[in-house]
Amino acid sequence: MDAVASAVDLPRPVNLTITPQPPPRMSEDDLRLARACAGGDSDVFASIYANHGERMKSIAYHQLGNVSDAEDAVQETFIKVHRAAASYNGDAAFTTWLYRILINTCYDMLRRRNRRIRETPIDDQIAGGRAASAVDDVKRMALRKLLSELPEQRRTVFALFEIEGLSHAEIAGILDITEGNSKWILFSTKKQLQEQWKK
Amino acid sequence: MTINCNQLDDLLLEGDPSSLDLAARHAQSCAACMETLAGWNEISDTARGLHATWNSDLLWPRIERAIKGERRSTRTRVWQIAAALLLLAALGATAWIAQRRMHAAEFDEAILKASAIDEVEQAEKAHIAAINHLETLASAKLDQASTPLMVSYKEKLLMLDDAIAECQTAIDKNRQNAYLRTQLLTMYSEKQRTLRDVLREDSNHVSTR
Repeated sequence: MDAVASAVDLPRPVNLTITPQPPPRMSEDDLRLARACAGGDSDVFASIYANHGERMKSIAYHQLGNVSDAEDAVQETFIKVHRAAASYNGDAAFTTWLYRILINTCYDMLRRRNRRIRETPIDDQIAGGRAASAVDDVKRMALRKLLSELPEQRRTVFALFEIEGLSHAEIAGILDITEGNSKWILFSTKKQLQEQWKK
Repeated sequence: MTINCNQLDDLLLEGDPSSLDLAARHAQSCAACMETLAGWNEISDTARGLHATWNSDLLWPRIERAIKGERRSTRTRVWQIAAALLLLAALGATAWIAQRRMHAAEFDEAILKASAIDEVEQAEKAHIAAINHLETLASAKLDQASTPLMVSYKEKLLMLDDAIAECQTAIDKNRQNAYLRTQLLTMYSEKQRTLRDVLREDSNHVSTR
């Protein structure tokens, strides 16, 4: 607990009750999916793209900060999935594994450009999920700026939970951390954002 | 269930709907917690609006092409690895055969050397047998040596026998030492010459008498 608290620089410890929830495990379908990916089955890749492409693009976008790099990351992820599918061992569900590869690809791309998020004006290219007022736009831009300044793990946990709606169990599987740690990182990140939000 | 302000963080950390509902109920009666909770929810609401979607009709065709290209290059790589392995096996087999042949040649050479030495030794034996025969003829005269010259021949022959024995011992230890064999041959030749001199001296002595 202390180690976790010091890792995220919380002002004071709070009571943490964690209900252990095992991350989603491999099913027979996942195994079949992995085999088909290893064999380069185009239809299977197309269905993965249809089911997860939008979310993958959004996750990559929030890591990399621009549409072009996000699309490159998604493409690279699919190639990596094809290369590594034969070694998929079912430690995690196929989708968890897929998102883990995506996140690692984004981290690699960030490292390649010295961890600096390249900001480009995107509002004319992307659309939010709902009709937004000018005030909402300002808030979103402010939050996006705050997110871009966060360390990559905090940004990732926040984006996966708050923006993409993944559960803590899924996030724990993707980032190879505990579920409690995921909750803790989200909590401390939101506390930090709240402080900066007021300013 | 009622909570106090200190427990608000615990509920926010837990973050599940029931915890947030409990926090909201507490916030109804606490202005400070209401403000904290409002800020908390505002971040969550704004974050939900950040989910990014955009049209990218060209992305899937791009990915499909990349995967096909990857499959082709994987197949090419497999063939390259197979070819490299085959080449390696061929090189290995060639090297093994060459080594085997080299060993066979070395073995043949060793056999040839051994047989050549055997021939030399047989010739030496015949030579020694002939000299021993000569020695037998001369030994009667040497045993009854009466003149100083004959005595000196006898001593010379004894010295040569000692030297021959010593040289032979050395050759037994190293059969292929050509130098020792030459020395041995020289000593036998000297012994042969001396024995002839002994026999000639004896006949001279007889003829003078």
